[in-house]
Amino acid sequence: MKFQLKTRQVCLFFIAFLPVIKLFTLPSVFAQTAREDMWISATISLLLDFITLSFLIVACKKAQTNFFGLLENNFGKIASKIILMLYFVFFSLKAIVPLGEQKDYVELTLYTLMPSKLYFLPFFALAFYLCTKHLRVLGRLSDVLWVLSVIGLLILLSLSLPNAEFDAILPIGATGVKRILSASFKAFNWFGDAVYLMFFIGEFDFRKKDGLKISISYLISSLLVVIFMAVFYSVFTSIAFRQRFALTEISKYTAVINNIGRFDYFGIVCLLFSNAFALSIPLYFSCRILNHVFNINKKWISALITTAIQLIIMTVFTQYYLSIEKLMTGALSIFFFIMANVLPLATPFLTFRRKQNEINA
Amino acid sequence: MKIQKDLQKNLNYIKSELQSDDVSFLDLSIGNKNGVLVFVNDLVSKNQVGELILRPAFSFKGKPTRKKLFGAFFSPEKTEVLTFDDFFNDLLLGNAMLIVDGIDGALSFGLKEFEKRAISEPPTSTVLKGPREGFVECLPVNVSLIRRRLKTPHLRFEHMTIGKYSKTPVAICYINGIADKNLIKTLKEKLNKIDIDAVLDSSYVSKFLGERDTSIFKQVGNTEKPDILAGKILEGRVAILVDGSPIVLTVPYLLIEDFQSPSDYYSSPYSATVVRLLRAFSVMLALFLPAVYVSAELFHLQLIPLSFLLTIVNSIKGIPLSPSYEMFFTLAIFEVLNEASVRMPKYVGMVVSIVGGLVLGETAVNAGIISAPTLMIVALSGICLYTVPEMEQTFSVLRLLFLLVAGTTGLYGLILSVSAFIIYLVSFENYDTPLCAPFSPLITADMKDGFYKGFIKEHEFRPQSIKNVNNRRMKIKK
Repeated sequence: MKFQLKTRQVCLFFIAFLPVIKLFTLPSVFAQTAREDMWISATISLLLDFITLSFLIVACKKAQTNFFGLLENNFGKIASKIILMLYFVFFSLKAIVPLGEQKDYVELTLYTLMPSKLYFLPFFALAFYLCTKHLRVLGRLSDVLWVLSVIGLLILLSLSLPNAEFDAILPIGATGVKRILSASFKAFNWFGDAVYLMFFIGEFDFRKKDGLKISISYLISSLLVVIFMAVFYSVFTSIAFRQRFALTEISKYTAVINNIGRFDYFGIVCLLFSNAFALSIPLYFSCRILNHVFNINKKWISALITTAIQLIIMTVFTQYYLSIEKLMTGALSIFFFIMANVLPLATPFLTFRRKQNEINA
Repeated sequence: MKIQKDLQKNLNYIKSELQSDDVSFLDLSIGNKNGVLVFVNDLVSKNQVGELILRPAFSFKGKPTRKKLFGAFFSPEKTEVLTFDDFFNDLLLGNAMLIVDGIDGALSFGLKEFEKRAISEPPTSTVLKGPREGFVECLPVNVSLIRRRLKTPHLRFEHMTIGKYSKTPVAICYINGIADKNLIKTLKEKLNKIDIDAVLDSSYVSKFLGERDTSIFKQVGNTEKPDILAGKILEGRVAILVDGSPIVLTVPYLLIEDFQSPSDYYSSPYSATVVRLLRAFSVMLALFLPAVYVSAELFHLQLIPLSFLLTIVNSIKGIPLSPSYEMFFTLAIFEVLNEASVRMPKYVGMVVSIVGGLVLGETAVNAGIISAPTLMIVALSGICLYTVPEMEQTFSVLRLLFLLVAGTTGLYGLILSVSAFIIYLVSFENYDTPLCAPFSPLITADMKDGFYKGFIKEHEFRPQSIKNVNNRRMKIKK
């Protein structure tokens, strides 16, 4: 069996791409509902993902084929294709809100003089290009980009720490369980990254202690997110929910910037690099699903379909973006939760059933 | 076509094919038979012809047979050829060919002597410490330079000729027992497929050895120094030596190779690491500084500190061109000056540098055509590019491309275009070796010779980035 990925790349994948997507509008979404306990909401969401991840690690350990193979062995071709198409829809929907917030960020924050939608359009060319590449390339990107994600986050955190008043997040749990859970519920769209491991099943050589390595890398990236949330609220306290793009705002008011200029942009640029890829990842997996379901050999066809769908959503439905975001953080949260956190829990049993089938045969 | 026994028929055929005044036909009597020695005048040592061919020929007694003839001459390099194709090949390589009446074949004597450049320090990779010898245009000399450094019976040279008209001798060189056999096989297949009129330089061959024909990035490594080549061969690479070129090619190629200078291996690891990091930083500056400056000036003024912004505003006041045009124009002028100073004779080149650098630059700023910060950024970017001279051509094209992107779509466009290049680079493989190794895929063991230069004892094993059959490089006795 030829493996496309290395365990190291799976670990670095989580560090490179998991935190970065949660640093734009998610902190303000959390702050709006969970206020000073927003970091607890983030922790809950991340813990839910971690539980899913643990199940998937078990599946990785047992699986002798990839996820597509597991589905086919257990449910047959047609049913597996239906499940995969559900995941196609899931990834396509999962990409919408982060893409929208990135578009807003580019238009509103990055281009202060001449905002234009055109500046964001080249992103789809990049996503298309990535979608045409092998899974091996995604692994190699993780090898490089985790450095940028970590450096970017560390720069922003170190610049903003002097302004942070950690008293603001105390006492812990003062907002109330309901609000904390409600914030977590709203944020399912941004989380559910453990599901990617499901598509890595059988694509890397799972050895002893690999589960521990993957768990640790996941926990490190989760910790970075939680720290960011805590610092963010500690900097802005009660007006945190007004800071739409936490990434830019968090370190904006540090005294150092007055002397050396917007040094924070160095960190922001590092994170924007990682984010450009992180945004493309749901599209990448949508593309892989299309390739498998419809036996498409020419990857550019599926890449074109996937990116075109997103491009149309981003350009045609721009005026309804707020409604779309509301839908994603409201009614569709259940769908995200089921697809990212519930269904993957069944994956270890799929590997068991396959083994039983083999024994019977 | 085979060489026949009839001397006259053979001669008629050779003369009909080789109607050139620089070919000599020397009639001889060898024992009781007639013979003719054929050679190209300016390629053969006359002294050796006299001593090693003519003297034994005239003292030959009896009836010459093929076996007797072969033993009669003192030339250490002699072979027997049976066809006219081989006859012409050897003759035009500089061998002296002897055909004797009644013998169906010819003797080929390697008596080459032609003017060649003396071994000197290559201008592209000068070092303060370390060997100063460089390859020359003569293949046998280059082979000897490698042999002198690697005195092992496992060092293999395999010769071939490429070029329909040039018949250029090409040799591949590797260490049997280190180099991967598949790599050698793939390389040979690629070389054998080359069907070209002439190979005038190794760069002609390198164009056929890459995986992607239209790539802007180098796909084949090269060096002019035998010590560096020996090091590369010892890492499992295969070298391609082309007669007529002092530049020896190596495969597989890693992007990091061009950030490694020969002097890094002869100086302290501390300074080598600092210098390598400096090179990487300089390349970043060279590639992105003009683009970032233009995008900041056009779209992201918030990036520039206020005091610096005021300086810029003062300096660009009255400049007729937009920031991107201004930068593009200045870069174009820089490239023109660069090209002119390379092409012109040395003494004129100096004048061009002075006129271009000082007079033109100063006057353009004073006249208000370009601003001082732009000029400074172009100059800095230009200098920084030469810290990695091997990549200068690629990077200067990329710099213009990034400038174009930054001028039209700003910083985000620049981020996206660089991201696309990252995808391109990490997916690039040549001879089953990732171009960006050891960074992507991350090979921690090979990082000791990445931007960090490890101590000698850290290089216990050969790089894993390059496939090889014998991993251990040294044994460290404790």
